[in-house]
Amino acid sequence: MPPAVRVPALAALTLALLGGLGWEDQPRPATAATAGVTAGVTATALAAPASAPPAFHSDRTYDAVAVPVRLRIPALHVDSNVERLGLQKDGTIAVPGRTDVAGWYEPGPRPGQPGPAVILGHVDSKTGPGIFIGLSAVRPGTTVRVDRSDGTTATFKITKVSRVPKVEFPTDLVYAPTLDPTLRLVTCGGSFDRNQGSYRDNVIAFADLA
Amino acid sequence: MRKRGNGQLWRALPILCAGLLLLLPSPGAVPVAQATPAAADLAIRFEALLGQHSVLAADLMRSRIRGDDDFVQAANAALGRNTTDMTALVGQLFGKPAADKFSPLWSEHIIELFAYAGALAARDEAAKGDAVHELTEYEESLGDFFAGASQGRLSSAAARAAVVQHVGHLTGQADAYAAGDYAAADDLYRMGYQHTYDLGLTLAGALLPPADAGTLREPLWRLRSQLGKLLAEHAVLIEDLTRAAVTGTPDFAASGDMINGNTRDLAAAIDTLFGAAAAKQFQSLWADHTDHLVAYAQAGTDQAKKDTAKTAMAGIEQRLGAFLAGATGKRMGTGDLAAALRKHDAMLMRHADAYASKDYATAHDVAYETYQQMFDLARTLADAFGASVAARLPRGGAQTGYGGMAATVSSRPGPALAQPTPAQPTPAQPGR
Repeated sequence: MPPAVRVPALAALTLALLGGLGWEDQPRPATAATAGVTAGVTATALAAPASAPPAFHSDRTYDAVAVPVRLRIPALHVDSNVERLGLQKDGTIAVPGRTDVAGWYEPGPRPGQPGPAVILGHVDSKTGPGIFIGLSAVRPGTTVRVDRSDGTTATFKITKVSRVPKVEFPTDLVYAPTLDPTLRLVTCGGSFDRNQGSYRDNVIAFADLA
Repeated sequence: MRKRGNGQLWRALPILCAGLLLLLPSPGAVPVAQATPAAADLAIRFEALLGQHSVLAADLMRSRIRGDDDFVQAANAALGRNTTDMTALVGQLFGKPAADKFSPLWSEHIIELFAYAGALAARDEAAKGDAVHELTEYEESLGDFFAGASQGRLSSAAARAAVVQHVGHLTGQADAYAAGDYAAADDLYRMGYQHTYDLGLTLAGALLPPADAGTLREPLWRLRSQLGKLLAEHAVLIEDLTRAAVTGTPDFAASGDMINGNTRDLAAAIDTLFGAAAAKQFQSLWADHTDHLVAYAQAGTDQAKKDTAKTAMAGIEQRLGAFLAGATGKRMGTGDLAAALRKHDAMLMRHADAYASKDYATAHDVAYETYQQMFDLARTLADAFGASVAARLPRGGAQTGYGGMAATVSSRPGPALAQPTPAQPTPAQPGR
């Protein structure tokens, strides 16, 4: 039906039905056809049981996602165990004990579970490259796989990579809770502050469940 | 609209048209907000109304298939109210011209869904084919409308695909319901709700100015939307289950599976926010809440059983209120939360009683309000949960480098230094 005639037609039909059939005052007409249809459907698919339904018992368990044990990013030649990280006394996130091993922020979501899972990796050691040396150059669409302790694997695709000053780290965008199953990979980047002994920036790769 | 072979459709048309009369575009039909709420706020309400549309349309189709004309009438009134509310929001979000185009298109796709259900009930393949043909036309028209309103941010193909999927969920659940395959019907019922709810985000993301669309992707707004989806769905599904319990219909078991799916999703959400131990505790309390509501509905006229269920529910309201207050870090008090849960339970019991007495108009009115109440409660909880979680998040950046490759790292091509998007100034960032 062309849009130009839809509204007038519907309006006219409504008014005709309301006026002609006396909608407010008269009972709806019962037709033989309708009665037959109702009986037919009721007699087959929708027949009520003879007895009342049994008592209902809600589920009291849910499928918890297992913890991550391995990180694989073929495009970056990353294939690493995953250690568990918490918070340090000053409230900053702990970092992996080794520069060739990734670490998962354990108080946050597990990869593949609703919410943003966070995995950290060093960009370098004092003498050579770390596991996330190539993260700043990773392209959107790159595949990231996280193997979990129950043998399952969560697969993610990088959506964007961003570099931010550590002093303005976007805690909300990285850690704040949502129910979207996402992954954030975090490492260092930018220039190195020799006085502080640390990089000035963080590189963050954002990934969605594939 | 075609009429061939649709005697029963004609019989029901007055019902539909009476509901739709209010929706026809007319000068001043779209309320103008006195104080314009934030676009993001309107957008997540739009999501909720779209989700509600899906379940109300499914309920309408199912009652048509059952031949339960009194329920059809009440369901259609609720659907008309939903469309009126949605049209008002479309006007506020995207302008009155958009609302004037949206309203008749949306209303007519409801009429064709109803015609489809009528054809299923009559086992009239020709009428079903006619309805499918008309639905296909409206899928194209609605898709083109959304694409046009997005000013190029949403392609016609993508918009049409989203509408096709929405219609597919509704016709699919109706097919399965008519065939007595309640498990398949209810799978599609949940899928349809979730897809249509999320369609609101897609549409708002495409139709709103980029800055407003960006706000919707911020964590706090996502959490508000997502908790709203889960808790409002709980209201819908517990009502579906209590209706099946009241009448002892054969879809009771499948309906129970639906609410269990929602309960598991809610527990998983609590796991995300507060960990597995909290999720287990929550799920146990939530399961008790659901079980006792169903027991209340099944009690029928046995007042002693009803009183037992009510007493049990009162205890759970208090314990669940205390649990949630703890989860919010006392940002919300146990008393307030228990009161909100008490109101929720009272509405659900009233819905069950109204349905049992065949007062379908009241049952639908209460159901409509219960959906809104849970969506509003979800928003309050999302803010308090977000603040509670934010208080224990890591501070600052990560020290993930020792400088051995500093020359290489600083000269590598990569992302330019970005100023992070400022966080939404909400109660979700205390002490940070």
